[in-house]
Amino acid sequence: MRRHERLIVAAVVLGLFGFWEAMVRLGRLDAGMAPAPSAVLAALKALLGRPEVLQSLAVTGWEVVAAFLLAVPVGLFLGFLLAEVPTLGALFRPLVNFLFGVPKSIFLPVFILVFGVSIPQKIAFGVFTTIFVLIVGGTAAVQSVPRELILVSRVYGASRGQIIREIYLPAMAPILLESVRLGMVFNITAVLLCEIYGARDGIGYRIAAWGENVQMPQLYAALVIVALAAVAVNEALRAVESRLGAWRERS
Amino acid sequence: MTRPLVSIRGVSQHFGADGSRVAALQSIDLDIPDGQFTALVGPSGCGKSTLLSLVAGLRLPSAGRVLCDGEPITGPMPRKVGMIFQEANLLPWLSAIDNVAFPLKLRHVAKAERLAAAGRMLDLTGLRGFEDRLPHQLSGGMKQRVAIARGLVQNPAVLLMDEPFASLDEQTRMVLGDELLRIWSETRKTVLFVTHSLNEAVYLADRVVVLSARPGRVVDDIPVDLPRPRTFAMTAGERFGALKDRIWQHIKSAERR
Amino acid sequence: MTWPERHVRLSQALLYLGILALWELTPRAGLVPRLFVPPLSEALGALVTHHRDYLGSLPTTFGEILAAYAIACGGGILLGQLVGASATARRVLLPVLRSVYAVPLVVLYPAMMVWFGLGSESKIAFAAIYAFIPTMLTAVAGVAALTPALAETARAFGATRGQQILYVALPASLPSIVAALRLGGALVIVGVIVAQMLGAADGLGYLITRHRTLLDSPGVYAGIVLVLAITGLHELILRRLERKVAAYRQGD
Repeated sequence: MRRHERLIVAAVVLGLFGFWEAMVRLGRLDAGMAPAPSAVLAALKALLGRPEVLQSLAVTGWEVVAAFLLAVPVGLFLGFLLAEVPTLGALFRPLVNFLFGVPKSIFLPVFILVFGVSIPQKIAFGVFTTIFVLIVGGTAAVQSVPRELILVSRVYGASRGQIIREIYLPAMAPILLESVRLGMVFNITAVLLCEIYGARDGIGYRIAAWGENVQMPQLYAALVIVALAAVAVNEALRAVESRLGAWRERS
Repeated sequence: MTRPLVSIRGVSQHFGADGSRVAALQSIDLDIPDGQFTALVGPSGCGKSTLLSLVAGLRLPSAGRVLCDGEPITGPMPRKVGMIFQEANLLPWLSAIDNVAFPLKLRHVAKAERLAAAGRMLDLTGLRGFEDRLPHQLSGGMKQRVAIARGLVQNPAVLLMDEPFASLDEQTRMVLGDELLRIWSETRKTVLFVTHSLNEAVYLADRVVVLSARPGRVVDDIPVDLPRPRTFAMTAGERFGALKDRIWQHIKSAERR
Repeated sequence: MTWPERHVRLSQALLYLGILALWELTPRAGLVPRLFVPPLSEALGALVTHHRDYLGSLPTTFGEILAAYAIACGGGILLGQLVGASATARRVLLPVLRSVYAVPLVVLYPAMMVWFGLGSESKIAFAAIYAFIPTMLTAVAGVAALTPALAETARAFGATRGQQILYVALPASLPSIVAALRLGGALVIVGVIVAQMLGAADGLGYLITRHRTLLDSPGVYAGIVLVLAITGLHELILRRLERKVAAYRQGD
C-alpha cells in the first residue's frame, strides 16, 4: 500500500471509531450493548492490571504453544513421510485430504468426552486441528522441490547430506513456513473455541463469562486483546516467511 | 598420437527389464581429442542426451566403456566434467554469483576463494555487474550465461552441453553462440555439444557426429573445415550449406520413418 | 516402486473398511472405553432411535445455513468481484483482509449472543461473518487472475463495458465463483453448527451438545455423522458444479 493510501485507511478507521463514540454519547447507541470506544479502552487498561486476567491470558498462551510444539514436528514428519514413501503416500493421501476437508470443530464434544474439561483436552484438540495443515503442507513442500536441481547437484558431486541442506531445505522453506503460519491460525482458533465451549480458565472462558453477564466493556476489551495478539503472531510469522521466500517470483 | 580425452568404446545403452527392453544406443565408438568442439546431432529420440549423461557419469553404460583421460567413468566427476542443460536450472534462492560458486561450496572451498573464482567466471561470460541478481531477475539468455559460468568454475577439462540454447529466441542463440566460441577459444575446453539445430552444429563445431534414429548409432562423422573465427557471413556460403545438407540427408531419412 | 492403479484402489478400500471395522470392534472388545468411542453400530443406532429429534433439528439448521450462505457467499462474491476488478482496491484492501483473516472469529460469538440472543439470528450472523472474508478473498483471486488480454480483445471488437462484463468477465470468473461458493458454503455450515454448539435452543449443534452433557456418546457421534453427511453432500454437489463449469477451461 502506498503511503497516502495507508493514511487514508487509518483516517477512515479512526473516523468510524469517532462516529461510534459520538453515537454513544448522543444516546443513539445503547451503551449497554455497544459501549463507547473510550469505555472499552478504559476497560482494557483495567483488565491488563488485573492479575487473574493476565493469568488467563497466560493459560491460553500456554495451551496454544504446547499444542503448536506438538503438532508441528509430528505433522511435518508425517507429511515428509507421505511424500517420500510412495506406497504410504498413495495409500494414505486421499484419507488425509478427506480429513483435512472435514471441519474439525464438530469433534470438540468428543474430546470433552474423552479428556473431560481440562487443559490436556484443549491441547489435544489444538493438536488435532493443526496437525492436518502441517501434514498437507509438509507433503506439498517436499513435492515442490524441483527435481532438476537435484540432478544438477549430482552432476556437481553433491553428497546426500548436501542435497538435503543445500537444495531441499531452502526450496521447502516458503511452503513450510506458510503451513506453520496457517497452522497457528487454526490452532489459536481451536484453543479459543474450546475455552468458550467449556473451560475453567483461559481468556476464552472469560470472554464467554463476560458475555453471559453482559459485561460489554470487558468483553470488547478482551476481544481487542485477542485480536491484536493473533494478528501480531500472524504478521511476525509472515515477516519470516517473506524473508525466506523472497526469491520466489512475484506473480 | 595423444590419447583422446574422452573415449567411448563399444557403448550400448538400454532401459527397462528383459521383455520391455528399449535400446537407446548401439555400439557407439567415439574418440574426442583434447580441446575439440564436437557437435552431436540426430533425430529426436536418438539417444544424444543419454550419451551425454553417460559421459557425465550420471549413468553407467549397459555395455562398453566410457573413459575420461584414460580412466573409466564410474560416477560424476565434477572436477573433470561440467554439464550445462537446456534449462539453466539455477537455484532460485541464490544470487548469480552464489549460483556460480555452488559447485565450489559443495567441495567446501573457502568463501573468499570461491566468490573470487565465481566472479572471474561471471566476468568471462559477460555478466559483470549482475553478480547479486536473483535468477528471476535475469533474462533467459543471462540465466544460461550463469549456467555456463557455473559449468566452468571448477575448470573442468570437458564441458557437456545438452541443447543449452534450445529455449532461447534466435537472436539470443546467435549472440550466446558467439560468446561460447569466444570463451572456448580462450579456455580451450573439450566441448561435447548436443543440438537439434544444424545451423548451430556447423557454425560452432570442429566436428559434427550424426546419430541415427533409435537405437542411436554413429552414421556420420563430419570434420567442419571452416576457418576460425567463424563469422555470420560464412553461414551464407556454399561450404556451410554443403555441410548442412550432408547432415540433413541422414536426418531426413531417419525422420521420415 | 509404484503400485498399479488397481492395487492402490484395493488397498485404499481395505484401509477404509479396516478403519470402519476398528471403529466397530475396538469398543466392543473393551480396548477403548465406550464413553470415548462407541461402536459404529451404536452411533448409527442412536441416529435411528432419536431420528425425530435429529430430523426436527434440520429445518432450523438448514434455514440458518441458507440465510448465512446468501449473505456470506452472495455478499462475499459480489464484493470480491468488485474489489478484484480494481487494482487499487486490491492493493489497499488485500493486506488488511489477510491480516484480519488471522483473527479467531470464534471469540465474537459471545458478543453476538448478547446482541441477538440464542435464536437463529446469532447463528446466521456468526456464520456469515465467519465465511465472508475467505469467500471474498477467493473471488478476488479469481477476478485478478483473469487475463487482461481477454478484456482487451473484447474492447478491440467494440464491446461496451457492460458487454465486457457480461460476455467476458462473468463467464471467465465463473470457475472462481464456484470455488468461492464451495469454500464459503463449507465455512457457513461449520459456522452454524459450531454456533449452535456454543449456545442455542435448537439445531443440530445444540443436539450434539445436549447429548454430550448427558454423556450419551452414541448420540454425540450420531450428530457428528450427520454433520459430516451434510458437509460431504455439499462438497459433492459443488465439486460436480466446479467440474462442469471448468470443463470449458481445458486450455488453462
